[in-house]
Amino acid sequence: MKKGVMRPGHIQLRVLDMEEALGHYRDLLGLIEVDRDDQGRVYLKGWTEVDKFSVVLREADQPGMDFVGYKVLNSEVLAQLEQALKDYGQDVEQIPAGELKGCGRRVRFDSPTGHMFEIYAEKEQTGKWGVEQVNPEAWPRDLTGMRATRFDHCLLYGPNIEGTAKLFQDVLGFDIAEQVIDDEGKRPALFLTVSQKAHDVAFIECPEPGKLHHASFLLETWEDVLRAADLISMTDTSLDIGPTRHGLTHGKTIYFFDPSGNRSEVFCGGDYHYPDHEPVTWTTDQLGKAIFYHDRALNDRFLTVLT
Amino acid sequence: MDNHNNRHPQPGMQTPHQVALADSDTCFKAEPEISVLVAMERAGQQLIPVGCRGGGCGKCRIRILQGDYFSKRMSRAWVSPEQEAGGTVLACRVYARGDLLIKPDPPEIAVSCHAADQPDQQNNKR
Ligand code: FES
Ligand SMILES: [Fe+2]
Repeated sequence: MKKGVMRPGHIQLRVLDMEEALGHYRDLLGLIEVDRDDQGRVYLKGWTEVDKFSVVLREADQPGMDFVGYKVLNSEVLAQLEQALKDYGQDVEQIPAGELKGCGRRVRFDSPTGHMFEIYAEKEQTGKWGVEQVNPEAWPRDLTGMRATRFDHCLLYGPNIEGTAKLFQDVLGFDIAEQVIDDEGKRPALFLTVSQKAHDVAFIECPEPGKLHHASFLLETWEDVLRAADLISMTDTSLDIGPTRHGLTHGKTIYFFDPSGNRSEVFCGGDYHYPDHEPVTWTTDQLGKAIFYHDRALNDRFLTVLT
Repeated sequence: MDNHNNRHPQPGMQTPHQVALADSDTCFKAEPEISVLVAMERAGQQLIPVGCRGGGCGKCRIRILQGDYFSKRMSRAWVSPEQEAGGTVLACRVYARGDLLIKPDPPEIAVSCHAADQPDQQNNKR
């Protein structure tokens, strides 16, 4: 049941070298750099996103994800969900308004998989980048690189994904849209949505807590995915796999790495979900096809390279 | 547009260096401007495991037993300052500055539980 969470709103990623990272997120993915702060963090967004930023890069000596945040309808919902998280037994931390520039107060909480999540109600709305609010043109002409339209979702690895998924379902109102089930009925992969998208966040079971598998950005068409692949070669960017299609979600995709080893995805298309839909199920004996629909073989690097 | 993911030239140095593996007679050429890991890939060799190529995942960890190299920042999750001082590095973040003698040192990485218990790929219908 919906609880007033709207969408993934931001992700803060750790990078080894900010200039190199900007070459990736700004110049290659084509995100728009919108701000910087006195901690040295850089704020970016996809051009279609109405809020001020969706990606925050922080230089650190260990790559990975600091947190991912979800935007809720309003401050009443934020207060309700904050109480619900406490009642559920999560450690909850208050992050004051302005800690991220242009973002209202955030409620940060931990999870069984060892990831930090946040919810917040307010962020400065600067509108879509490069087009007018009224009578908007189709797209801005001065985009660069892959012209990624938005931060879409992330895939996280950690222990007890059932625990984190239950927290997201019971407290935050996410649904399981797609799942992988093994022959003992255990679920090693869960894809959750809070919208009509095939996934707003996904989890894969792994003993190591708090790991990032990838942050994903949306493109419009398959042609754009092929063009992204061309740009990956032109820039000698570290390729993981693709262009290909997933069985899970049926999205068309390519995976590659930022210069600090964090995996990025750009993709288009895929399944949709309504609250009355049963989860789409894949079985582990078909896991190769579930992950890469054309290869139909498991890829060790894709499954085990994490930050 | 070029984000120079792998490039790191050595001024005045064009000729490739030789990278040799300890306890083996294999070696490969490494241009000074590309990382040791990418040089190995370009030589068509599989002597060091390849992961992210960005110093994040730890897969390509090696020990450099001999030789000069330049290194970029690498994840402290896999290489401590003490280890780095002793020549333990991530091959994707080091650039040969002379001939090198190396030894793979991949860390134990706790992998996805379900990668291991897959049925033999050969049995999958194609
Ligand atoms: S390949 Fe990932 S750290 Fe070198
Ligand atoms: Fe994805």
